[in-house]
Amino acid sequence: MQERIDHLDESIGLRKLVLYRDVALTEAGEAPARPARRASVAAVIRNPWVGTGPSADLSAEQGRVAPVLARLLTDRLIASLGGADEIESFGKAAMVGTAGEIEHAGALIHTPYFGNLMREFLQGESVICFADSRTEAGETLIVPLWHKTRASTRSHYQTISARVSDAPRADEIVVIAAASTGPRPHPRIGDRMTDPVVTAETLETVPS
Amino acid sequence: MKIRKIVTVVEEIRSEGGRTVDRPARVAVVAAVIENPWSGQGFVEDLNPGIDAHASDVGALLAPAVLDALEEPAEAYGKAAIVGLDGEIEHGSALIHTLKFGDHFRKAADATTLLPAVEKRGPAGVVFDIPLKHITDATIRSHHQSFEVRISDAPHPNEIVIALAAASQGRPQQRLAPLSTEQ
Repeated sequence: MQERIDHLDESIGLRKLVLYRDVALTEAGEAPARPARRASVAAVIRNPWVGTGPSADLSAEQGRVAPVLARLLTDRLIASLGGADEIESFGKAAMVGTAGEIEHAGALIHTPYFGNLMREFLQGESVICFADSRTEAGETLIVPLWHKTRASTRSHYQTISARVSDAPRADEIVVIAAASTGPRPHPRIGDRMTDPVVTAETLETVPS
Repeated sequence: MKIRKIVTVVEEIRSEGGRTVDRPARVAVVAAVIENPWSGQGFVEDLNPGIDAHASDVGALLAPAVLDALEEPAEAYGKAAIVGLDGEIEHGSALIHTLKFGDHFRKAADATTLLPAVEKRGPAGVVFDIPLKHITDATIRSHHQSFEVRISDAPHPNEIVIALAAASQGRPQQRLAPLSTEQ
């Protein structure tokens, strides 16, 4: 098993993995009705396309690298949050180093080789919301999360801040999977089911 | 003790300097974001009642949590107190620089040395580096290391972040000659 893991590490150029998890015991002075555990897992890998130029075909490497990342990141996410059943919302992200293209980040998170597998492993149905950026090492990226089966569930709109102090280097990509076991600490802004009809015509005061 | 949130960070280094790290190098941090017990009281001369009320509790909370997060025996450790802008660094030091706090970690990790520490005051999202040294011999050079942490929304001005860090090994690819070779 160890041999297989080492081989996978080398095959995707894995430098390190960073898990972040938080739980809010109180917020605005009161305990949440449902305290949510939230986590992100980041993998720092070598950018497989550095130096290849904008006409390069990305398909072969994305089909090879993205599934390994989907498995690696979701395994750790599930373990850190107590099981796929516990996870209610999810999101994904990538930060590409300055020698790469934002297209390289997209290649690793926006295709079925990552997205479909992440959805399957986390037992979701929704499209997975995302963030991406090209950055220096140590920049923060805000990763959005929404409900894994009912994306428009407003109580579950939330974000988690992801940062790896020394990554991405110029020739690296940081790929992130994130999830939460519940809603925001004190959700109380209604939902699509409870909203009144709001149009410019129905409002007494319309911003001009 | 009023706790707002608990944050866990675990880093696992698989490759360093272009070479595989034989046993993945793990470092774990668990931080509690708590209300500064002396918040809003002006200059408090005697910090002992607050220390007695909170230092042991926060040590007892964090010590088992950081060892659980590490998932391996700890070989190096350290601690942090990051005080929000309305407090004194002395408030953070009060909570972590007593045996009441540190002995929980020493006992849980079978450790004997003093815990190296960072104490700092800053805004929410401030970056801090926790120094770590070997748990039974602070002169073991291979285990001198530090770990960078940032909590995006803490500490608030009236809060303190108290954290413990544990490493399962020294630096990845450590290869410095020991102190004894220079004595």
